[in-house]
Amino acid sequence: MNSALNPHGARVNVGPGPRFDLCDIGHSDYVAVIQADSAFWTLAPRNQAASFLLGEELAQAFSSHQDRLQAEMQALRFGLKPSAVYFNPTERCNLNCHYCYLPEDMRRSGADMPVADVFRALEILAGYFQTDQQAGVFLPQIIFHGSEPMLRQDVIFAAIEKFGQHFRFGIQTNATLLDDGALDFIREHNVSLGISLDAHLAALHDRTRQTWGRKSVFGQVTEVLKKLTGYANYSVICTVTQANVGHLTNIIEFFHGVGVDMALLNPVRCTQPGGRQLKPEDHELAQRFIKALDRTWELYQETGRKLVIANFANILLAIAAPTARRLMCDISPCGGGRCFLALAANGDLFPCSEFIGLPEFKGGNVFQDDLPEVLDSVAFRPVTTRKVEDFEPCGSCAIRHFCGSPCPAEVYTTTGTMAAPAPYCAFYIEQARYAFRVLADNRLDDFLWQGWNEGAEKIFSL
Amino acid sequence: MGKHNQRYEAQITSREPKPFGFRYSCGLNGDNTGLAHYILLDKKNS
Repeated sequence: MNSALNPHGARVNVGPGPRFDLCDIGHSDYVAVIQADSAFWTLAPRNQAASFLLGEELAQAFSSHQDRLQAEMQALRFGLKPSAVYFNPTERCNLNCHYCYLPEDMRRSGADMPVADVFRALEILAGYFQTDQQAGVFLPQIIFHGSEPMLRQDVIFAAIEKFGQHFRFGIQTNATLLDDGALDFIREHNVSLGISLDAHLAALHDRTRQTWGRKSVFGQVTEVLKKLTGYANYSVICTVTQANVGHLTNIIEFFHGVGVDMALLNPVRCTQPGGRQLKPEDHELAQRFIKALDRTWELYQETGRKLVIANFANILLAIAAPTARRLMCDISPCGGGRCFLALAANGDLFPCSEFIGLPEFKGGNVFQDDLPEVLDSVAFRPVTTRKVEDFEPCGSCAIRHFCGSPCPAEVYTTTGTMAAPAPYCAFYIEQARYAFRVLADNRLDDFLWQGWNEGAEKIFSL
Repeated sequence: MGKHNQRYEAQITSREPKPFGFRYSCGLNGDNTGLAHYILLDKKNS
C-alpha cells in the first residue's frame, strides 16, 4: 500500500494530518470521503474506500487545494456583508395560516408602516448600502415580505418605481391580491415574485392556508400561476407540514403541470407553536421529499422541462460549488443579520423575519439607530456568531457545512438555546446523502437551473 | 423513456467506478447570497 503522507509528512487522521470522514451515502457503488472544515469531498468506490482513504492520491489532492478551499469557506461564512432586506410594510395579513412565524394578534389587527416611513426607510437603506457596500458592483435586494405585503400595493409599487436605481425588488405573497394590473406592473418592472402554495387540491390547501373567515383561496392562487406562464422571475414556496407531507409527489406533478420551473419545499419552521404543531416527522419527511425529487427528475426525462427544487439545489451547490449558492439558511453562521436582515412594520430590525416575533432579538430601529451598530448589536450576535463547530453533535458531523444546523430561531424556541442541532437534523442528513447520490450518478445538472455555473471555474477535480 | 434518460443510462453504464470529486468556485461579491428560504432573486441575468 502507498504511504498516506502529505507533502508535510503528516498522516491522514493523526497528528497534524488532515481529518477525513468516511460516510455511507446509501449508494450501491460509492461512499463519500469528506474533509468537513473545508467542505472538501470525494466519492470513492465502496470496495476501494479503505485504500483510497489511506493512499497518497487523496492526501495529495487535498493538501494541494486546502488553502484555497478553506479560504473560500472562511469568506463565505465570515466575510460577507448584508445584501438584502426583508421589508414588512404591514403587520396585517388577509390569511390565517396556522404555521405563520408571526404572532396571530399582529397578523389579525396589526399596524401598517406609514407611507412616508416606507420611503424614509428605503432612503436610509439606500444610504447604508451606498456607503457600506460595494456600491456599483451589484444592486442590493429589497424583498417586500409579511404578513401580506400586497395589502400595501400602492405604496410598495410606488417604492419600486422610485427606488429602482438603488435596489432589485422582490415580493413574497400569498397571491390572493394579484390582479391583472398588479401582474402587469410586476412583469414590467421584472419584480421577483415568491408565491405561497401548499397543495395541489383545494381541500388540502385549505387545511393550512385560509382566510380568517375560513374561505378557500386555492382557486385564486392557481389562476395567478396560470397567468404567470412565461414569466421567468417567479417561484413557488410550498411549506411542508404534517398535512401535505404525504402528497409531495402529487404537488410536484401539479406544479410542473402549471408551468412552474422553480419551487421550494420548505419544511415548516418550528419557531412558533403553530409551526411546531404541524412539524412532519423527520423520516417520513425525508422519504417523501426524496420521492418528490425523484419525480422532478422523471418529469425532466419525460418532458425535457425542469422543475428545480431550490432548497435542494442549494444543498447540491453547498457541496459542488459553495460560493454559487443562493440561500443562506443552510450554512453557519446563517445569513440572518450578516447577509440579510428583516425590517418590521414599526421600523424594528431583526436578523431575519423568523425573529420578528421574538423581541429579545430586536437589534434596533431603522429610524433611530445606525445600521452598522444594529448589525453588531448584542441582540444580533447570538445569531451572527452561531457556528456548528461550537456544539455537538454538529461540531463533529461530516456534513456540518452542507447543513448548517438551521434555523437558529426554531432551535432557540424549541430548545431554549442556540447551541443545539436542528429540529430537522435527521432530515438534513438524508437530504445530504441523497445529494451525494445525485453526484455519484452524475446527475448534478439535472437538479440545477440552466446556467448555474456561468462565471464559475472548476478549482479542483479528481 | 425520453432522450434525456437515454443519455443518463449511457453515462452510468459506461463508467467504471473510480474515485472522483470536484469543486467549482465563483466570485463572492455578495450579489447572490442575500437570501433566506423565502424567495429567489437569482434571475439577475434576466
